[in-house]
Amino acid sequence: MERYGTGYLEERKLVPRWPQPIPAIVALVVTLLVFYITWWIFQDPRGWMRMYTPYVGYMYTRWWLIMLIWMVYIFNYWPFKRSWLENTHPITKGVVLTAISIAILWLLIKGFFETLLGNFGLAYFNPARLTALPGVTEFFAIEYAALACLMFAAIASWLSPAWVVACEETPWQDLRQPGKGISILVMTFFLSTVIFFMTMHSHMGILYYPWQYFTSIAPPYWEKFADTVSGNFHVSWIMCCTVTVWIVETIWERFPFKLIKTNWLRRVVAFFGIIAIAWAMHFFLYFAQELTWGAAIRGTRRDFAPDWRWLHVGEMAVFFLVPALFITFYCGNWPKRFSLPTNVFIRTLITAAAAILLYIFYYATSHDFLGTQKGFSHPQQFPMIPTIWLINIWLAHHWFMDNWPGWKMVPKTADEIAADHAAEKVQLAEVRWNPSLGWGLGAGAVCGVVAYFIILSVLPWAYESITIIK
Amino acid sequence: MTEDKKTMSRRDFFKGAAMGMLGGTALAMGLFSYTPWRKAYFPGVQRKLTDIGACKYVKVTNISETSWFSNADLMGDIKGAGGLLVNQYSYNWPPFGDGNGLGKGSYDKGIAKIKHLLPNDLEEAWAITEKLSVHPENAGGFACLIELEEMNGKQHKYLLDSGWSYKWTDECFKREGIDQMLKNKEIEALFISHEHFDHYWGIPVTYKYDPTITTYIPDGFYPEGLKYLEDSGHKGQVIKVKAGLNPIIPGFASFVFAIPIICRVYGEQSLYFNVKDHGLVSVTGCCHQSIIQFAETAYREIQYEKDQLYGVYGGLHVSPFEDWDPKYDDLVISLGKYGFQKIGCNHCTGILCAKKFVEAGYPVIRGTAQFRSKETVYLGNGDKIGFGIEV
Repeated sequence: MERYGTGYLEERKLVPRWPQPIPAIVALVVTLLVFYITWWIFQDPRGWMRMYTPYVGYMYTRWWLIMLIWMVYIFNYWPFKRSWLENTHPITKGVVLTAISIAILWLLIKGFFETLLGNFGLAYFNPARLTALPGVTEFFAIEYAALACLMFAAIASWLSPAWVVACEETPWQDLRQPGKGISILVMTFFLSTVIFFMTMHSHMGILYYPWQYFTSIAPPYWEKFADTVSGNFHVSWIMCCTVTVWIVETIWERFPFKLIKTNWLRRVVAFFGIIAIAWAMHFFLYFAQELTWGAAIRGTRRDFAPDWRWLHVGEMAVFFLVPALFITFYCGNWPKRFSLPTNVFIRTLITAAAAILLYIFYYATSHDFLGTQKGFSHPQQFPMIPTIWLINIWLAHHWFMDNWPGWKMVPKTADEIAADHAAEKVQLAEVRWNPSLGWGLGAGAVCGVVAYFIILSVLPWAYESITIIK
Repeated sequence: MTEDKKTMSRRDFFKGAAMGMLGGTALAMGLFSYTPWRKAYFPGVQRKLTDIGACKYVKVTNISETSWFSNADLMGDIKGAGGLLVNQYSYNWPPFGDGNGLGKGSYDKGIAKIKHLLPNDLEEAWAITEKLSVHPENAGGFACLIELEEMNGKQHKYLLDSGWSYKWTDECFKREGIDQMLKNKEIEALFISHEHFDHYWGIPVTYKYDPTITTYIPDGFYPEGLKYLEDSGHKGQVIKVKAGLNPIIPGFASFVFAIPIICRVYGEQSLYFNVKDHGLVSVTGCCHQSIIQFAETAYREIQYEKDQLYGVYGGLHVSPFEDWDPKYDDLVISLGKYGFQKIGCNHCTGILCAKKFVEAGYPVIRGTAQFRSKETVYLGNGDKIGFGIEV
């Protein structure tokens, strides 16, 4: 029976061609070069296609991310056969698979959203229909339609991988491709649609004058809680969900959820646990802004506006994703020498530190080389676009091109695969309840709470001490 | 008990501690960060209450609020040039048109075509740039005349901004008698709110009538903008106003907000007037910092009559292209609590926003929709508004 790419990522061995850190540095240089060239071609406001308007570029960036997830995580490279994946040169694979992802992306945006939904369901997905309405210029018609599409993408980019990472493809895990892929796609798309209507549709409903009372909840139900009528409140926690899913999948190796032995319980706890962690992040990153910039003031623009603060939570969250993926893709998920919880803890600390440094570096320099606007809160300053653009390139490089040229892909033998499974079992068995673990857990929890309050005290001082934007 | 249970295992303790640290931090983040108790961490508002003095009244004449005449053309150009982040000097809009087409221009190539004619032969300069630029007929501009009287009876006149199109701005100046006031040196200074095309690119028109006028610009101009001051034939003093409060005369101060603005512009200067027995009046070019931020800044920085935010004039930059966003509704909903008693909005406030202000019951002063202003819902070209004085 042809397995296509099912299990390909787990069953490939990426052998570094040179001792570390050379392959990681080579990968970083090569991917940054590709990033900058493609940024200039597609996104840069000074470049060729100038899609960073910003919503058009953002829409394509977000949906491209989802295309990559669909192809690899949901469809397991179907219809490409395992032999093709194993024997084709990484550059050929990269070109072919990337081209396909772009083709599907284009079909989805133009065919599904603009033509099908935009003509037969919701006008706000179709720029041409919006342009035909009084008072809407073509520019904003395109921007509004792109906004609707990308809000949908924000949800789909959380749910699509969550169904694999948290729900472990249930109940279709044993189905063959493409049946499995189609089933998961339909389920996640359905859930995305429901959540879109509950979180984003009201935003679109009050975007047009007068408020669309008969078709959307206006003012939206979250107004008092979030201190804004903007859907950015939801963009924030949904973005945190996306980031948390990938942190759980990469540097956390699905820990701590994989400690739960009962399948259904593990899946439920993982799905909702990811949401819970994301909400903690969602609240904390908003509070962090209040601590550094002062309390938000409703009705203002830019960095004091609650709607922007919520959006910026999502923007801050994505800075955590970049180092997390780099550690997993190019640093072999270093470190691995300690117990699983300790490894996870150290990687989390490294990721957090790297995310802060990347955040500072981005805002200090991005206007010099990306063509973005200077400052944190400019309406056209969307760090999610370049960061996700880079992440997309890393995903294509890691999933489609086997980290070429720094690594060589060698299929694992059956013994190696069995050894991996055995090692994982041992690793999990190691984390078992005993008094020492219990004392550690209690002491750690107290330290965690204390660390949180220390961070609250230090943040304003730390921000004052660093001049990020000169 | 086994040996294992009796003695502490360091490895197991660290495993637990690692899990506990992550869990404890996440739990605290989730349970505390958005509760009302977090507000204990916010510093109280320290009001500086800087005394800028008081004036008897302020009168504003709207020379022009119509920065452009067709939203579709303007946004079509911006879209075609690559969006709202593109450097405004590259659009190939007048007066910097070089004939190379949309999005392919530059300050140096554009100014080279007309520099020799500035500031005295603006008709010829505009005739040249009309042929080389994209949509020259769409250029209008923003400018207003501010008249105020000190408590001792001394009167002052200032210009805020100098429009965009030489042709349109000159027409408007003549219509309101600004040309003669400049020639007579009645106008003491030109305040530039920010570097945007529609507020700044018409400066040669002001310098045509008074090349020595003192010009205040906000800190943050790009090199092209600074060069344009020289190339426009200005021979007077240029004062770069740093971010923050800048008292001018009793009752009048400007305030520079260090903020990034679309089309690659940085920094905006807005004006505060403290009107005796009435309260604070805010006069803005575009108010990119937002009127509420402007009001909050006044509350923190300035001492003003009756602690009352009395009035506002100018662009409030809500929906300049008649676009909308739910966050603008946040502004419409919140503005009421600031208690403004006279709202003289126009320009980039947007007609839609003005309508929403009116629907919310705010004291918006209506206009006459003359001289190409489109609606009476706000103050149009040639309309006047007084604060502490009836006009």
